[in-house]
Amino acid sequence: MTESQRVFPYLAYADAPAAIDWLRRVFGFEPLDVQTIPDGRVVHAALALEGAQVMLASLFDGGGYCSPQTLEAVPSHVLIHVENVDAHFRQAESAGASIRYGPVDQPWGARLYEATDLEGHRWAFMQPQGSASNSNEHTE
Amino acid sequence: MVQNPPEGNQRIIPYLAYADGPAAVEFLCRVYGFEAGTQLDMGDGVLGHAELHLDDNVVFLATAFDEMGLASPQSLSAVHGQVMVYVDDVDAHYEHARGAGAEITEEIADQFYGDRSYRTVDLEGHQWVFTQHIRDVTPEEMAAAAADM
Repeated sequence: MTESQRVFPYLAYADAPAAIDWLRRVFGFEPLDVQTIPDGRVVHAALALEGAQVMLASLFDGGGYCSPQTLEAVPSHVLIHVENVDAHFRQAESAGASIRYGPVDQPWGARLYEATDLEGHRWAFMQPQGSASNSNEHTE
Repeated sequence: MVQNPPEGNQRIIPYLAYADGPAAVEFLCRVYGFEAGTQLDMGDGVLGHAELHLDDNVVFLATAFDEMGLASPQSLSAVHGQVMVYVDDVDAHYEHARGAGAEITEEIADQFYGDRSYRTVDLEGHQWVFTQHIRDVTPEEMAAAAADM
């Protein structure tokens, strides 16, 4: 089930190639389209997880963006519905994600964990309770 | 069985922090054409959660809570990303937003990668790109265009 996606988070990284590698290895994103320039910076990249995309790019002078590394707080985070939040959590934790909390059942009916990536972008992965791969499955 | 993602949600959702959540909901609906959905009003002007719809997609927002490490862009030196939104008619979207007082940070233009888009910053400093895909570009064309930049 892939809904048509109109809205894309577009994230800035100080080291975008390292971010792409980290997001692939730790969160399971598949790089779809990575456009680099000769100095190694990424002008645009699209990464997919379970059929949905985020986009990212390197910082460029004058772009008005910064890495969360240089911020004391972030103005947004990315929320992602995954098919099996516990399996995703185990993979991310074992691959070295910094886990802020969870996975925990939320009173509003979802199971969710939150992690911070290599530069401080914040990600919440969640699954509605009672959906296909529900939280009662703790198979390894 | 419960649907995942829930009906009316895409899989990946930007979640934005605002100092004044209700004002943000009003602005984003009036200026950018979102439709307000579920809102969790915690009183005293604090929004615990709000869902804004655009066709079959959503963005979420809430009032920024310091203790959660989230802050409005108003209180930050720069932002760490933007939200890119595909609309059906970007020229109409642009005209509406500009007419409603949006701050345009990059005028509407055809882009080398096949989109027509414009950039805008909202009432608290979140950056948005509204775009429409108007032309398929081959990888060869893309590389040639990038080389000319």
